[in-house]
Formats: sequence, structure tokens, C-alpha cells
Amino acid sequence: MTNYAASEKAFLGLSHAQVFVYVLMTVISILFLFITNAYLFRMNFQDWAPVPIPTLLWFNTVCLLLASVGMVWAKSGAKTEDHQKTKVGLTLAGVFAVVFVSGQTWAWQELHVSGYFLSSNPANTFFYLITALHALHVLGGLVAWFVVTFKVFKEDAAILQPESVGLLGVYWHYMLLVWGVLFAMLITT
Amino acid sequence: MDQNSATYEGQKMYDPKGWWDTYVFSQDHKIIALQYVCVALAIGLTGMFLSLLMRLQLGFPGLFESIDAGSYYQDVTMHGMIMVIYLLTALFLGGFGNYLIPLMLGCRDMAFPFVNMLSFWMYFLSVIILVASFFVESGPTGAGWTLYPPQSILEGTPGGDGAGIILMLASLAVFIVAFTMGGLNYITTVLQSRAKGMTLMRMPLIIWCIFLATFLGLLAFPALLVGAIMLIFDRVLETSFFMPEIFKGGEVLDYGGGSPVLFQHLFWFFGHPEVYIIALPAFGIISELISVHARKNIFGYNMMVWALIAIAGIAFIVWAHHMYVAGMNPYLGFFFATTTLIIAVPTAIKVYNWALTLWNANIKMTVPMLYCLAFLVTFLNGGLTGLFLGNVAVDVPLSDTYFVIGHFHMVMAVSPVLALFGGLYHWYPSVTGRMLDDRLGKIHFWITFIGTYLIYFPMHYIGFLGVPRRYYSNEQYDFIPQSVADLNQFITICTLIVGAAQFIMLYNLIKSLYKGAIAPKNPWDACTLEWQTLESPPGHGNWGEQLPVVYRWPYEYGLPSATADFVPQNVSDEQIT
Repeated sequence: MTNYAASEKAFLGLSHAQVFVYVLMTVISILFLFITNAYLFRMNFQDWAPVPIPTLLWFNTVCLLLASVGMVWAKSGAKTEDHQKTKVGLTLAGVFAVVFVSGQTWAWQELHVSGYFLSSNPANTFFYLITALHALHVLGGLVAWFVVTFKVFKEDAAILQPESVGLLGVYWHYMLLVWGVLFAMLITT
Repeated sequence: MDQNSATYEGQKMYDPKGWWDTYVFSQDHKIIALQYVCVALAIGLTGMFLSLLMRLQLGFPGLFESIDAGSYYQDVTMHGMIMVIYLLTALFLGGFGNYLIPLMLGCRDMAFPFVNMLSFWMYFLSVIILVASFFVESGPTGAGWTLYPPQSILEGTPGGDGAGIILMLASLAVFIVAFTMGGLNYITTVLQSRAKGMTLMRMPLIIWCIFLATFLGLLAFPALLVGAIMLIFDRVLETSFFMPEIFKGGEVLDYGGGSPVLFQHLFWFFGHPEVYIIALPAFGIISELISVHARKNIFGYNMMVWALIAIAGIAFIVWAHHMYVAGMNPYLGFFFATTTLIIAVPTAIKVYNWALTLWNANIKMTVPMLYCLAFLVTFLNGGLTGLFLGNVAVDVPLSDTYFVIGHFHMVMAVSPVLALFGGLYHWYPSVTGRMLDDRLGKIHFWITFIGTYLIYFPMHYIGFLGVPRRYYSNEQYDFIPQSVADLNQFITICTLIVGAAQFIMLYNLIKSLYKGAIAPKNPWDACTLEWQTLESPPGHGNWGEQLPVVYRWPYEYGLPSATADFVPQNVSDEQIT
């Protein structure tokens, strides 16, 4: 995006895009904080019947982890101006993120077929809502991933911005962290 | 140089290609600000019209057959939601924020102009969805602006079993997305794009206010978003986040086990900061106007900034004072009553500082200054009744009466609107290059100011009598004396007059655009940067070739070494002498 500032790196040595993404992640964190709060509040009621966590979710978690590894790979490539490495890393990150989201929808299907319907128990409702909200944020990241990857694959060296790839990586790791916390909550409660 | 394809500081600016790019899908912050203002004022007039319908029923019960109980509740609900969210939040942050942040900070545009444009169009979409609810079969929701479940999504509540409530919640969700896009832009621009020399403590107070209000919004709106999503689930997918076991006509509904109080917590965790999301920009406007039109530096700038930060922080730990009547642990009530009273301290600091700014000042009784003075007394009035309601023991008997309507409207409706009008009159010359008609402005001011007092002061008295708010009709209750009905007639007549007076302002805004006196570049002799642009009104890119450099704080009035009684922020000491 175009910056019009008198000077970049104006605040705490951060760029515009960094401030934007960090504040955005703060807002998303607040959103998940509220939803987990509501979850922890609601689970104390007597009618709460925990959802059996599908094994598929472990596989999905590994996929999201691999997506993050892909981003580390891409960032390292962007830093050293190794285009091939960046392209491979970005592709891996995107593909594994898509597999993660697809895996989540598959897990919902599994639960649904097993009779764990959305409205049959509050635990089910929360499970679907929390995982869907997270998947939605991964999808949002995939839109940004598409934009950056498209630029990188255009083979224009000037467009290969380590900052964009780096920030995308930060968001990927953040999504992994959020999922880690949510998943831990879902399997332990 | 062609302003539309300028390259500044080695970076190419957004380049509008034609009329659509320049005026409709514009990425220029000034156009986006105007778009926000126009849409917000249009939907705000709708909200005002709904309040007139309400008042007609209350003043002359049964006279207008088209206003039945259902439509009355729909009017109440939509009036509240429109005014709080779609008018005031959008106008203060989307309108004033977009226009003033880049100009006052000395930058060319927002940090992310494209996202800024998306923010407006998402807001526009949210308004369209909201308005669409008037045209669905069951009409808009009539659940009250707090949308409390279970009643908000059940049959029997207007719009509850139709599309009304769904459209309301969907519109809110879209609005929150729009706000987040705009908010991220405001935060980034304030932190990153300030002109050379514009330190944080040299920023005009209105920028501080918008900045902090944006932070409040970004942290508070997610609570409403979560609440709205869960309520949509309950309504559409028959889940039971907020729905307890419900028996209807002897039948058990499919719901069960949900907690309506959970929704109240989510709603008010957003709802109370929302008060400050609206109040802080109003504070900011008053701080600017009072200093400029009293020709005096603002008293206690640092204290003002820290008071704002304190208000923004404490705003997050007072929300449950809206829920005393929902029932809560007495210790919790004590905690929230205490924090509520504590927030009065930084707020009082601001009021004292405004008053001290006026002390021995060279006060110009311009229209913006009239609005400032009106704001001060009105905010004080509304704030003081807030101290009553902040206490649990006083709030419980008064909470469901007209006392709350009186308090709320004085502090949260009339006060910000007075600031808003003051701001419109003050910055109109910067936006259009023309002055507003002073005489029409004063007529509008006096009718609005006196009129609103005649409307809302009596409501405190009605509230003390115990007249319940939210009731469609007060006729069947023995404890309500005839004098209340008389007073309600009087209030309704005043409301109609004040409502009609707003068209004076509207006429003034439109007429002055073509026939207003040509405004000098800095008509109020202000120090802040938005009046120091090369052209007036400022062109695309705001500053021509060179960005301004800031040498001083924004309230340099009455400097002994200067010949004029003000020194603009971009004038160095050498240039003064």
C-alpha cells in the first residue's frame, strides 16, 4: 500500500503496515477473548455435554503448524533474496492453510453425521462457533496471502518485499497461536 | 503540477482517474469525510423523525392511529440505534476523524487510503441493511436499542420473528467491520504520519480525543460483534447462547439453558465505552473551539491529555452500572458504583480546564462559541445526574423511569450534538471555502439550546414521579397524575419546534455552499494546521510541494513577542520576528 508519511518508521521504529497488522491482531485477540470468556462462563452450567474432539483436529493442527513453517521458509527466502525459496515457502504456507480450513469443515461434517448438531447442546454450539470464527480469520489471511503471493510470482524483484512476507508470516504464526489456545481449551474442558 | 497525479517525497499519490474516482469511489480523506457526514446526517434525520413519531404518541396518545404499540417500539429502537451508532459514532470518527486527522497532523492522507474508502462503503452498506429492515414484512426490530434477549428474538416483539432483528444484527456486524477498517487507519496515521515536529504532545486535543476514542472502539466493538453473532445464531439456528427455558402458552420452546445476562455483559462491555467513543470526540471539538474563539491557550494541556487517557482506561471497568436492575452481587455493584464515581474525576478536570480557559479570555460570541458554552452547561447538567444513577441505591428506583431518559439525553445526546453543531459551524469554511450565515446560525442555536432544555429538564421531574420509560401509553395508571400528560404535550410541542429548527441548519449548510460569503483562508485566526494549507479549501495532497514543519503546540495565543494574537503551529520563532 502507498504511504504518504513524511518519514517511515515514525513510531517505535515500526512501519505503517506493522502498526496496522499489530493493532488488527490486538482487535482479533479481544474478539477471541470474549468468545472464550463466554465459553468458560457457559460450561459451568449443568446441561453442558462436552463434544468429543474429532481426531482430525490433530491432523489439522499439524497442517497449520506446517503452514507456519512454510512462512518461516518464505521469510528467510525474502530476506536473502532467494526467490525460489520464497515461492516454495509461500506456496506451502497457503496450501497447508487451505488444507487446515478444509479439514475443519470435514471435522464439522463428521460431528454432524455423529449426531452432534449445532443446536442440540451449548457445547456443540460453542465448538462450531469458535472453530468457524478461527477458520474465518484464516480465510481472511488467505486473501492477504493471495495478494502477496501473486506479486511474488510476478517475478518482479522490486515487488519482492521482505516486509510483506514477514508480516504475513507474523499473522500466520498468530493464527497458529490462537488456534493453539482454542484447541487446548476445547480438549481440556 | 497536476495535483491529481502528484509524487511527493518519492512516493506516488493515489491518482483519481475521473469523476467516479474523485467524488464517489474516492480515496481522498476529505471526500470520504464528506461522504460520512452526508450519509450520517441523512440517517440522523431519519432517527430524528422517528423520535417525533414517538413524541406524538406520548404527547397526544391515540390521536395518530398509525402509531400503534408495535410501531412505537420500532420507532424507539431504531431511533436509539441510529442516533448512537449510525449518526454520532460515524459522524464523529468517520466524518471529523477523516477530515481532521491528516490536515491537523500535516500529512497528505490517511496511511491506507484504499482501506479508508472501503471503510466508508462498508458503513454505507450497514446503513442500507439497517434501512432495509423498515421495508421487510414484519418491519424493523422493536426490541429496544439494547436488543436484550430473549424478548428481542421471540414472536410478539415487533420484528422478533421476522427479518427485522436479523437485519439489525447483520447491519451492526457490517458497521463494526467498517469501523475497524477506519479505526486501524486512524491509529496508524496518528502514530506514523505526523509532520516533522508534530510530537504526540503537540497534537491538537481533538486528535488525541479521536485517537483514544478509536482505541476504545477497536477494543469494545468486538464484544458487540460476539454478542451479535451469538444472537443471530440463537435467532436463526435456534441455539441457546442467551436463551433460557421458555414456556409460551403452556408450550415449551426449543430453547434452554442460555444466559440472557451474558448478553447484557457483552452488550454493555461495548455499550459503556461507546458513551466515550461519542463523548471524547465531542470533548475534542470543544477543546479546539473554546481555545480559538476565546483567543486563549487551552488551560492545562498535559492534564487534559492524561485526563483523556484516564477516562479511556476507566471506561472499560464501569459497564455493569447499566445492569444494576438485572441483579448482581452487592460487592460487584459496589465496585462498579465506585469506578463510576471515579471516572467523574478526570471528566471534572476537563470541565474545570475548559472553564479556566474561559477565565479572563477574550471571548468572541461566535456561533461555535455559543455551542461551546451550551455544551459546557449541558454536559455538566447531564454529568451531575449521572452521579445519581451511578449509585446502586439511587439507580434501582430511577433506572426504569424517565429520569434516565432525561439524564442520558442531556449527557449523551444533546451535549455531543451541541459539540457537533459547533464543529460543523467552525470547520465549514475549511471544507467549502465559504462562511455559514451567522444570523441563521444563531437562530438555530437558540431554538436548539433552549428547546432541548424544555424537552429534557421536565423528564427528570416525570422520572421522579415514577413514570416508567418504554411505555407506549401512560393512560391506564392511577399513580400517574394528569400533570404528566400535560407536560408530555408540552414536551412534544417543543420537540416538534426543535426538530423543525434543524432544517434551518440544513438550509444554512446548503445555501451557504453557493451564496455564503467567501471565507478567508484562516477565518477564525486559529493556530492549527488545517487552516494553514496553501489552498483553501485544501486540494488533493493537502500541502502542495512541501509538507509543513511544526514548531510549537496548537494553542499559541497571545504570545507577547508576536504581532498577531496567534501564532500558527508551522511558524518558527524566527518567522515571528
